[in-house]
Amino acid sequence: MIAFTDIVGMDLAKQAMMLLAVDPSLGGVVVPAAVGSGKSTLARAFSGIVSKDTPFVELPLNVTEDRLIGGVDLEATLLQGKRVVQHGVLSKAHQGVLYVDSLSLLDSSAVSHVMDAMSRGAVLVEREGLSEVHPSKFMLIGTYDPSDGDVRMGLLDRVGMIVPFTTQNDYRARKLIVNCVLGKRDAEDTDDELKMLRGLIEAAKEQLPLVSMTKEQMQGLIQSAVSLGVEGNRADIFAIKAALASAALAQRTDVDEDDLKLALKLVLVPRATQMPPQEEEVMDDMPPDEEMPPDSPESEDQDAPEDNSDPNEEEEEEETPDMIEELMMEAIETELPDNIMNISLAAKRKSRSGSRGEALNNRRGRFVRSQEGEMRSGKVAIIPTLISAAPWQESRREERKKKFGAVKTALIINKEDVRIKKFRDKSGTLYIFMVDASGSMALNRMRQAKGAVSHLLQNAYVHRDQVSLISFRGKEAQLLLPPSQSVDRAKRELDVLPTGGGTPLASALFLGLETAKQARTKGVSQIMFVVITDGRGNISLQSSYDPDAPKATKEEVQQEIEAISATIFAEGVASVIIDTQMNYLSRGEAPKLAEKLGGRYFYLPNAKAEEIAMAALS
Amino acid sequence: MTQTASAAKKTASTKAKSGSVAAKASGPKKARTKKKQGTAFPFTAIVGQEEMKLSLILNIIDPRIGGVLVMGHRGTGKSTTVRALAEVLPMIERVKDDVYNRSVSDYLEAEKPKKGAKAMTPEDMTIEDIPVPVVDLPLGATEDRVCGTIDIEQALTSGVKAFEPGLLAQSNRGFLYIDEVNLLDDHLVDVLLDVAASGRNVVEREGISIRHPARFVLVGSGNPEEGELRPQLLDRFGLHARIITILDVAKRVEIVKRRHDYDDDPQAFLKKWTREQNKLQKKILQAKELLSEVTMGDEVLTDVAKLCMQLGIDGHRGELTITRTANAFAAFNGDKVVTIEHVREIAGLCLRHRLRKDPLEVMDPGEKIDRELAKVLGEVEEV
Repeated sequence: MIAFTDIVGMDLAKQAMMLLAVDPSLGGVVVPAAVGSGKSTLARAFSGIVSKDTPFVELPLNVTEDRLIGGVDLEATLLQGKRVVQHGVLSKAHQGVLYVDSLSLLDSSAVSHVMDAMSRGAVLVEREGLSEVHPSKFMLIGTYDPSDGDVRMGLLDRVGMIVPFTTQNDYRARKLIVNCVLGKRDAEDTDDELKMLRGLIEAAKEQLPLVSMTKEQMQGLIQSAVSLGVEGNRADIFAIKAALASAALAQRTDVDEDDLKLALKLVLVPRATQMPPQEEEVMDDMPPDEEMPPDSPESEDQDAPEDNSDPNEEEEEEETPDMIEELMMEAIETELPDNIMNISLAAKRKSRSGSRGEALNNRRGRFVRSQEGEMRSGKVAIIPTLISAAPWQESRREERKKKFGAVKTALIINKEDVRIKKFRDKSGTLYIFMVDASGSMALNRMRQAKGAVSHLLQNAYVHRDQVSLISFRGKEAQLLLPPSQSVDRAKRELDVLPTGGGTPLASALFLGLETAKQARTKGVSQIMFVVITDGRGNISLQSSYDPDAPKATKEEVQQEIEAISATIFAEGVASVIIDTQMNYLSRGEAPKLAEKLGGRYFYLPNAKAEEIAMAALS
Repeated sequence: MTQTASAAKKTASTKAKSGSVAAKASGPKKARTKKKQGTAFPFTAIVGQEEMKLSLILNIIDPRIGGVLVMGHRGTGKSTTVRALAEVLPMIERVKDDVYNRSVSDYLEAEKPKKGAKAMTPEDMTIEDIPVPVVDLPLGATEDRVCGTIDIEQALTSGVKAFEPGLLAQSNRGFLYIDEVNLLDDHLVDVLLDVAASGRNVVEREGISIRHPARFVLVGSGNPEEGELRPQLLDRFGLHARIITILDVAKRVEIVKRRHDYDDDPQAFLKKWTREQNKLQKKILQAKELLSEVTMGDEVLTDVAKLCMQLGIDGHRGELTITRTANAFAAFNGDKVVTIEHVREIAGLCLRHRLRKDPLEVMDPGEKIDRELAKVLGEVEEV
């Protein structure tokens, strides 16, 4: 295994983990990073810097609810003839580390349980006749690839530190990892370094109760949280804890400028919901900072660079939310396939699926109730099986005794006793709205879309439906709202939306497809596109991502749209096209699009919100 | 509060048959109970969030208000506040060790003697004081634990089909709290809607047939960004409190300090707040006593009805909730007569979630209610 000290790069992530080791009440560290950046190696290496007997539990993505929370231990229960409790993953991580790789792919009910355990410090087990409280205080180490989707904000809020997303240092980190794997680094060196680090952390733990912060520093941090629009009070507490831990690591008794900056960077800036209105004002409440030029353009930067920091640090200092956004854009660009046409060929072989299936099934979703069934046809529901067998034990034992003499088994269970679990697939349909915000009709279309979205969400709650919003105008499409059940969010996103410009339909469809694929990995099987447009795309995918690309011809744009449409169809995504173009202007693009998508076509130039919602639901 | 629930379960599971050894006396005997000091963060030490705190207090004063839904920003102390509630709750009397927390009269009513057996009288029974239960319903709960099911151990060891009561039984006459209520599974929501409407839990499964009272104050909390609440469930909550991030730096510093002091030495912190806690508890008790004397004049009642009509609220639950809540609010303030000012303070809480949803409405529901009330009272000209 690669040691913590052997990993180069990801310095901020490492710093965060050191702080966590000093003060586990910081809750955890989340590291967003691209595939292959060594994030999971680092996470595993974390166990090397905490004390040896600290449990390290990995949470598998496909974890079932009973394994996560705990439940009845089947074997032991049968053997002992009384209920035996099996502790869940959350309880096993108590006073240790809970590690989740690909946090953003974790099933939403599992996320809820992790969140609940984090805020309670315990797991309430109210399942299958059990009623217990298991302590569950753990440090969460989570990693994820932002291209897999976002992590739920509620969960991030409970984790103290969120490392800013970076693709830097990959190369150096990888090189070193390779060197380690090849045994080029001296194992003894590593041991010594780790020992030193552990010593440092132990010393910091002792120092921690001695560290204090001035009232002004505390106010400064909280004022920053307010300016950044950070929601709730947890971040205030985490930021203060992070600063204190940072001072403790440096064996100081008071908090200095660097500690505060680190706290800002790891705790507050990643939770920002707005850019601070006036940066200087924020910093005014902080102790004076000699190194910071008050009038430099960098003053918008929360974490302004210091003069004498090392070059590597300087690079990280520049990571403002703006920077992060740019980096994410870069990541999206590099992941775009060179030739979009290839995707459709690969995907065509897949059959069309995704009709509304049976709500109850034998394997997936949430355990609802049990019923009689074959042992092999699903998961056996233990308690109901035992219950149905219980009343017969005495008579069966007598019967057997007559036949075979002494009976050794504690329980005699016959085939007809077996009850299997019935699960309910909790995911409803994901409606992905793609709204054409180009041209003059855009405002009207946005209003229609907004009403339709609200309608769908309010009426279709029972099915646990979700809505996602994509708008397209100008150069490219934009994901306004990732799959969500919140009307509030959808409305807010639609409220402030610029309109006009070109029609990057291809980009919208592509983005929709990506969103659909991500939703599939999270267990949403039914997906429907609701495209509100005149169907007249005129911006090619290539020019959406590359401003210098030569202007594509009408035919090329059309070909692109057709290819993506075919892929979408092959993926089993259903579509509805709402044509908003006035009759006399239409050249039949929208019906053609509907045909390619294998979807239904509605001509609704003045559609009311309800009509669009009905069209999507029909 | 978790402790409260599990402690209640423990004493209940001893299943002592009360009354069998009781000697004849006048009225039921009372077992002595000591109130246990909890360790939850004190209710009175919570900074700000007055809307939520008031809603909870009003529900203690009059449980018929129908519970409260707390929706708002994450990390604003929603669940901390609800869990702190247990410490300021009054005591209730129940038949000793009764798993359904029944009072003597409820008990006698339900447990009709079998043919030929002698009817039980109050003199045969022992009662005890327990704190009003607060029961936590976690998202991962299964239906059998919520409703109750056959006692598996008894079934296995002695082949007896005994009923093991669930969370609904524990929460009878108390509070049932669901954090992240907007994420609760649909089938559990169905169960809750059923039970909340009828006040009783009916279990017909695995060969047992049981019905028991389950009247509780439903308290839910959640973040609206994580998902919407089913309209039927929304309608079940008497009050809807909103909670937002406090923007006042001084207040937030105070929050951080109190939290730190509590984490540092919970016992010392609790001790420091004992007086405040007792004061609030006393005030609530006084309000409960005063409640029966509180009256609302016809004029106020008419205005309330007009307000609900103006806002287009279906049914009569709106008026009913306002009336009860305003009465409780007046009692909390030590007033015997409800004025329109009392109504003004609580109308938003009562009606916010009952307004007809208009997808394109931009005005905050609270503002809308205030504006309509001003219109009803003739304080502003109709536009």
